[in-house]
Amino acid sequence: GRGGFKGGAKVFIEPHRHEGVFIARGKEDALVTLNGVAGESVYGEKRIAIDAEDGKKVEYRVWNPFRSKLAAAILGGVDQVHIKPGTKVLYLGAASGTTVSHVSDIVGPEGVVYAVEFSHRSGRDLLNMAKKRTNVVPIIEDARHPHKYRMLIGMVDTIFADVAQPDQARIVALNAQYFLKNGGHFVISIKANCIDSTAAPEAVFAGEVKKMQAEKMKPIEQLTLEPYERDHAVVVGVYRPPPKNK
Amino acid sequence: MSNLYVLYEHAAGYALFKVREFEEAGAFLPQVEQSVTDLSRFNSVVKLMGFSPFKSAAHALENMNAVSEGVLTDDLRLFLETNLPKDDVILGVIEPKLGAAINEMVNINCQHTGVVPEVVRGIRCHFASMIKGFTPQSASVAQLGLGHSYSRAKVKFNVHRADNMII
Repeated sequence: GRGGFKGGAKVFIEPHRHEGVFIARGKEDALVTLNGVAGESVYGEKRIAIDAEDGKKVEYRVWNPFRSKLAAAILGGVDQVHIKPGTKVLYLGAASGTTVSHVSDIVGPEGVVYAVEFSHRSGRDLLNMAKKRTNVVPIIEDARHPHKYRMLIGMVDTIFADVAQPDQARIVALNAQYFLKNGGHFVISIKANCIDSTAAPEAVFAGEVKKMQAEKMKPIEQLTLEPYERDHAVVVGVYRPPPKNK
Repeated sequence: MSNLYVLYEHAAGYALFKVREFEEAGAFLPQVEQSVTDLSRFNSVVKLMGFSPFKSAAHALENMNAVSEGVLTDDLRLFLETNLPKDDVILGVIEPKLGAAINEMVNINCQHTGVVPEVVRGIRCHFASMIKGFTPQSASVAQLGLGHSYSRAKVKFNVHRADNMII
């Protein structure tokens, strides 16, 4: 009955094509990440305990694509997320930290997630989540002003942005200039309504891609988040790609 | 001979670098941009002149609050006065407001454009390996602690307890 993975049904864990992400195969399949803080849920999500070969228990957390745009992009078949064990990620628009907690699981103890959120209300939840996860650096500050938090962040491999602001492309470009290494990647979730609610979503996405290209950001891939989100797209690209050698 | 110095603010303390070869910003820019990724090449571009670690977590927080608002603290002022040569130097800073404050209080010419943002990118990339006794681990530990205390203070001192809406 309800309760999903509990209740005796046998569940198998398989690695996903994206390193650090897993698939739980049971009665229903689910996207999961290896819980960095075993025994705890962050936002009421289900946990699955599995017996490992050495007799120990390992715990995974279910990652809901309807609540996380990154999960939606992965299930939608995005080619690369550029987030894997050991990655240093700058996460703009961290909100309460639900997706951040899964990114924290993926990058593991060798990686870091710098999580920027301006809203104090969700910032409180973010801070509480970060207390238990030592690879998350919480930053309650406006992502429009990277100079305000420049002392807290080293060079990162990947910027993930979900800020839902009309000037999102500019915000990401500013942060990239400060913190994203040459040849680093960006993953931007775009909500068409937030940029221009009168234009067609496709036109909005194309306009955003244009803005990125003007900022040394080279988009590589674009994907809509149907059926999980309406009029959303994810754009993945590379920042200051190294010059091609002859 | 170059007279450009660059200030770098880190969660662990202040650092001052001298830019070695500096003829003209425009011609120099692509060279720096490329050397940023390679530590051995970057080491031939800049040289560490001084590093002053924060004494405590409270001390670091106080300085970070000031730096993020573009305010010159006594610590930073002392650091610059001890480590910068007196005559005819240009100090590169990443943020113009702090540059203006330094210019006004200590009378040092500041620059935040041209080659400066690229040099700071390079320093950010290699900082942990350029400071003696520093590791990427200790650099992140400092950032983690300061990130928590800075953010906690932000949330705590919001008297209205309401959300700051972005419109």
